Amino acid sequence: MTIDFKKKYVRWNLILIGLLIALFFAIVITITIGSVGPIGSGNPERIPIQAVWDILFGKSSLWPDTYKAVIVDIRLPRILLAALVGCALAVSGAVMQGVFKNPMADPFIIGLSSGAAVGASISILLGLSIIIGIYSTPFLAFLGAVLTIFGVHFIARSEGKVKVETLLLTGIAIGSFLTAIISFMMYMANEQFRFLFFWLLGGLYKASWNTVTIAFPLILLGTVVIQLFARDLNAMTLGEEPAMHLGIDTESVKKILLIFSSLVAGTAVAFTGIIGFVGLITPHIMRILVGPNHRILLPASALAGGIFLIWSDTIARTILSPTEIPVGIITALCGAPFFVYLLQKSKKRSCDSYVAQN
Amino acid sequence: MNKRKWMNGLTAIIIVCFLILTVLIVSFYVTKFKEPQRETGFTIIDDLGRAVIVPKSPQRIISLAPSSTEILFAVGLGDRVIGVDDYSDYPEETKNKTKIGSYLNPNLEVIASLEPDLILASDMTSNEYVASLEEKNFIVFVLSPKTIQGIIRDIRVVGIIGKKTKEANNLADSLEHRINAITSKTSNNTLYKPRVYVEYYPYWTYGPGSFGNDVISMAGGKNIAGTTVNAYPEITNEFVAMSNPEIVVFTIGLHTSTTIEDIKSRTGWDKISAVKNNKIYTIDDDIISRKGPRIVDALEQLAKLIYPESFSSK
Repeated sequence: MTIDFKKKYVRWNLILIGLLIALFFAIVITITIGSVGPIGSGNPERIPIQAVWDILFGKSSLWPDTYKAVIVDIRLPRILLAALVGCALAVSGAVMQGVFKNPMADPFIIGLSSGAAVGASISILLGLSIIIGIYSTPFLAFLGAVLTIFGVHFIARSEGKVKVETLLLTGIAIGSFLTAIISFMMYMANEQFRFLFFWLLGGLYKASWNTVTIAFPLILLGTVVIQLFARDLNAMTLGEEPAMHLGIDTESVKKILLIFSSLVAGTAVAFTGIIGFVGLITPHIMRILVGPNHRILLPASALAGGIFLIWSDTIARTILSPTEIPVGIITALCGAPFFVYLLQKSKKRSCDSYVAQN
Repeated sequence: MNKRKWMNGLTAIIIVCFLILTVLIVSFYVTKFKEPQRETGFTIIDDLGRAVIVPKSPQRIISLAPSSTEILFAVGLGDRVIGVDDYSDYPEETKNKTKIGSYLNPNLEVIASLEPDLILASDMTSNEYVASLEEKNFIVFVLSPKTIQGIIRDIRVVGIIGKKTKEANNLADSLEHRINAITSKTSNNTLYKPRVYVEYYPYWTYGPGSFGNDVISMAGGKNIAGTTVNAYPEITNEFVAMSNPEIVVFTIGLHTSTTIEDIKSRTGWDKISAVKNNKIYTIDDDIISRKGPRIVDALEQLAKLIYPESFSSK
């Protein structure tokens, strides 16, 4: 028995170390890919590969200032934000799928994205980013997301308890309601329409060191807290009653998981708009690869989500250079076939099992 | 079994990897390069009402919209334009300029590598994007005229910025002269204004407050969608049949493949005056939709379509 446990831990650690190495290489390789090279269309000019390493190792004075601006000020924060947002969406998706025991769940299942979009559209339509400041849109989007989650939770509550089925249905209803409001605002928005539409498509083009610095602590905090409740989440997948018999305070666990997964997903949405598919598919892929135990599933999903979004965004910003395409197209285009392939391969195993033993 | 181990190995690994990231981020943040020394310039208020400090004599200009590209070339600053958005295709010389992506999300890497000292944007680029360009130390001047008079004013402003005041004022004066020549004729017809329907996409037209609405009324037409609820409404067969436009104009451009047959075959449209009298015309989408100097061409063409007899002498 103890040997089995040890084996499991060794396997888990190997998986995580493998994913960390993959993340590291994803960052190192994609820092060399972009419109102005070294790998990429190289128009109007191509940055030599030597320049990238020199700049990264602090010898940037050898090269023109523009090289440093491209690598350090534009490309690197974008890659790091992709890693953070991918991590946030995947973790949040894994939590939602676990809490709702529903394979269709993603971070946006209970209306988070619609709430964020309402906040963002108010800011965009009123032009607040020029009047108040550059972060008014992310701030209002975040506020919209959090208020929606609390609203849904409040409405779904009865006698101090929140049934997951009620929560899910309330979330979907509120989400549809808010989506209708956004559609109406878009219709009335005239010239601002396209900005709103574009925001809804999502993308990492607004990345900067400031956005990374703001998003990082919020996503870190949420991810760590969620990780601490991985065991409880495992028990919750058995059903609420069995979990209660195991001595778990299901109501507060539910509330904490919901709050913190909304915190990370809300942060991600605030800076990048609605990027689909990462939060839905990454946890499923990792469930097939590492199993349904949330203690490994959550960190593995986090790292895999980051890697997935880094590569997707690199393709999105490079493939039609200088034009960028919405990253959601790439995440779905690359993620879906891979997911289907894994599903086919693992047909024998029951891959949609959410039940895990601690 | 339920005893929670608050710090298991996995959590520790996660925290460690985040700490590493933190150190990386902080170190890059600290070594972030200094703000480049800027030549002192002069302050001009742009169409968003912002005071923008533009360089004394900008030499490397990027245009983020077809309209501002056309203005730059028209006032003789074309040779200082080093990059344009994907949709800038007029005049011909834009073909040789570096493309910096779509006006919705221009490619930052390409922009940075071009080292612009001034970026001209339009209202096609979102305020968010303008703000994030400025966050990265680019100087952005926004041209978003709301009327034809606004375009004329912007042409003069671009002339001041680029030290081409004479060329810009000449152009602006001649455009104003042409506009007056049209309005002096069209405004005589105060008793009756023909009903006009202009669509830029099947069933999508210009409503109140839109630029196209302004052009139609200056050309002496009565826009049938001039009292709808929003600036770019989608209208129905019923609405058109009831409004009974005397002239139907549709745009020809990238986004449309409408034909005169399409218009005629729409349900109920066979009863409207324009179709009965075969007054269905086309106009180049680029000249009516871009807020640049060629808007006056659009105005002239529309006026001639609406009042063929008044302009027949030309």
